[in-house]
Amino acid sequence: MTHPHVLDQLPLWVEGDLTAPELEAVERHLAACPACREAADQLRQSQAWLREALASPFGAEDRARLRASVMARLAAPPPAPRRFLVPSALLAAAAVLVVAVLTWNRPQGKPAPLPTAGTGPEFTSRATAGATDIPAPAPPLPPRVRLARAAHAQAQLQVRQRPDGTALPRREPARLEFQTADPTIRIIWLAQATPLPDPNPTLEETP
Amino acid sequence: MCPATEAVLMEGELSSLPDAPVSGPDQAIRRLRAGDREAFADLMGLTEARVLALAWRILGDRHLAEDAAQETYLRAFRSLDHFRLGEPFEAWLIRIAVNVCRDLSRKRGQQPVALASLDGLEAGATAPGAEEAVLLDQRRALVRQALATLPQGERVALVLRDLEGLTSEEAARILGLRPATVRSQVASARAKVQAHCARRLAAPKGGRP
Repeated sequence: MTHPHVLDQLPLWVEGDLTAPELEAVERHLAACPACREAADQLRQSQAWLREALASPFGAEDRARLRASVMARLAAPPPAPRRFLVPSALLAAAAVLVVAVLTWNRPQGKPAPLPTAGTGPEFTSRATAGATDIPAPAPPLPPRVRLARAAHAQAQLQVRQRPDGTALPRREPARLEFQTADPTIRIIWLAQATPLPDPNPTLEETP
Repeated sequence: MCPATEAVLMEGELSSLPDAPVSGPDQAIRRLRAGDREAFADLMGLTEARVLALAWRILGDRHLAEDAAQETYLRAFRSLDHFRLGEPFEAWLIRIAVNVCRDLSRKRGQQPVALASLDGLEAGATAPGAEEAVLLDQRRALVRQALATLPQGERVALVLRDLEGLTSEEAARILGLRPATVRSQVASARAKVQAHCARRLAAPKGGRP
């Protein structure tokens, strides 16, 4: 019959990983217990098999090939730095955008007027009132939304002033407005790295 | 009786790190830093057998081990400026090699253990003259299979401690673990390898459950 408290220590005993008192206790037990001694012998045998099975398969030829390969990699010129692709991509995107805007504007001829208060049908009726009293039918929508560039309007809210009337030296956001064929839809594009100005500035905000 | 002294020493390359001469690598590194790039070939000549064997034992695949060894030396070359002369070069290199092997294992993922090589273990129908050679091959395949089934941490600890001949403290420094943790991992791995062999081989009787 084997003894679990000794069997648990055998994997450390087999390679000399026990402390001196532990080693002495285990060996004293093994001398008196044939079952545990057999288990210890089997463990030593499997350790010997482990070393036998994992003897290195590499020879001088393999080592020479490795050395030659590494030295060739080190002698090779460093790879060319990767081309910075972002500017090219940006340029291409900008070109596509310009072409798209020009193409969109061309068939339209005259940009659609900016809408005032009112809905689409009312706007159409006013625009054609001078020509005839019969309201012209609304123009059919093209397959894509026609955009007309509106004036580069500087909103009044963007002009911020000090209490003494002098303008604040503040960089305004880039503003681009498009009027779609549907007069009720207007696209306003603002771009600024810093937060947009408050549309209702107060005196507390000014220095 | 000291079991460690009775262990089968397989190769001269398994000399422990403190016994390994440190002047050789240091001299080569000085030449390298002076601009002699060929000194790196000398540095490799001192260590490449050990790096190849270590990678093969951890990864279990010959071609993958060669890739790992190559990557180990390329990383070592790029990091050589950070190596401090006087420190054990092989321990520094082994740390790099272990990291490379871990990276490759992670990329490769968990591979199933090849069982094909073990199919004839219990057959016993071999010619009398070739029986011993066949049994040897089968035993090697069995032990490699046992090693392949270990968790990676236990496997690396076992390779460093029992096959590379490092002490538990040296292995712990390389792995960034406590020596007690390494001892625990190694003990678990040894018991598993023995149990695996005992289950598959008919020769040993009894043994640990």
